[in-house]
Amino acid sequence: MSAVTMTMRLFLPAAIGAIALLQPAWAEPIAEILVTYSNGQFQPGVLNAPVDKPVVIHVKNLDAKALEFESTSLRVEKVVAAKSEGIVNVRALKAGRYEFYDDFNDKAHGALIVE
Amino acid sequence: MRIDCRTGSPYLRPAGAIQSMRTTRPPVALAFCVVVTLGCGSAAAQDASTWQDASTRQDPSSWREIETKYIFGFTTGSGIGLEGEKEFTIDSVGRFGKRDGHYAATETKYEFEFTPSQFVQIEFGALGSTHTIGGMTDLDGRNQVAFGGGFAEFRYLAVERTSNNPLSVTLAVEPTVRFIDETSGARVHNYEFETTVNADVELLKNRLYAGFNLLYEPEVTKTGFGETQREAKFGGSAALALRLAPNLLIGGEVWYLRHYDSPTLSDFTGDALMAGPTLYVQFTPKMFMTAAWNAQVWGREVGNPLSLNLSEFQRHRARLKFAYEF
Repeated sequence: MSAVTMTMRLFLPAAIGAIALLQPAWAEPIAEILVTYSNGQFQPGVLNAPVDKPVVIHVKNLDAKALEFESTSLRVEKVVAAKSEGIVNVRALKAGRYEFYDDFNDKAHGALIVE
Repeated sequence: MRIDCRTGSPYLRPAGAIQSMRTTRPPVALAFCVVVTLGCGSAAAQDASTWQDASTRQDPSSWREIETKYIFGFTTGSGIGLEGEKEFTIDSVGRFGKRDGHYAATETKYEFEFTPSQFVQIEFGALGSTHTIGGMTDLDGRNQVAFGGGFAEFRYLAVERTSNNPLSVTLAVEPTVRFIDETSGARVHNYEFETTVNADVELLKNRLYAGFNLLYEPEVTKTGFGETQREAKFGGSAALALRLAPNLLIGGEVWYLRHYDSPTLSDFTGDALMAGPTLYVQFTPKMFMTAAWNAQVWGREVGNPLSLNLSEFQRHRARLKFAYEF
């Protein structure tokens, strides 16, 4: 048996095993959430998401002026133009409360509850 | 590069001369920094409504969470910014006062930073330096402004704060190349690799924060005379920051630093304890400043009985930083 073949026999199962172990992480389902913004407020004001799953937040701006969806704890910011939709991708989160707000409007804020 | 005061035989000077050196008046630049800082702080406190609703100003639970990276002065918080955020900053650090004569040196970072992911922050920029030195035993007199070199910083958020975990920890490395020596202002080739652990804890929600740094900073310097010097700094800091208003934090910090003539920390030459107040003011959601001043309160040099370590460190240091996010 050549050295190359032997190496393949030894390491191929290990590689396949490693890929199989990693696969659930790659195929991890994504939680999608929709939040609308109208009259200077997020609706709903409280969002919910599952623990340890990446989250995609669709921010639909119904107002006639742009908003900036921002969160220090989520570590994201995204400007969403008037009458349009923005997509915010968030990493898999641990359980907790993550506040967000419109950086252009002091009074617009909400929270994402992960549990 | 450090000054070797031991070769300057400072203890042969008359007692009166040493006394007069110790009572050197605070540098004008430092006083200016303090005045600007206090002025900005009081103006910002009066105008806290500029970026948060007046009705929520008195209730910390309704304040927006704050980015902790710059709220502790010289101590760096764990914040790495927001994904997609970019920032331009001007960050000046001044060092004032040595054993004798007149000494003032500044290094300013013209810095661009961005956060490409929710775990990584990258910064890079150019350095400008100024040196005003006169009447010193171990340093040539000079009055110069120069392009100092460049740097990059990589920050990785290792432990993230959540509503259930108040601790956040970031690991950072900052390679720097200098063409002007930080201390003497002489032309050199200096390569530094600062490694830090930046941790902070939210002690009271939106109100009180504690910050901690651990620093290891090896460097190698090739002088104009072909000499190669290797050295390292090792130390840590603890800081507290109290949020008085949504856009205003004040606090204090303490640094303990050790200096070695070897990157492996095998040749100890002295240490120092520095302490002082800090200030952070957010002018608008996209613009802030931070200021800090540290005085050396204790120090020692190996082989030198005089108080304070003014060979590797300075009597005072001040930091003033302005940032604009976009």
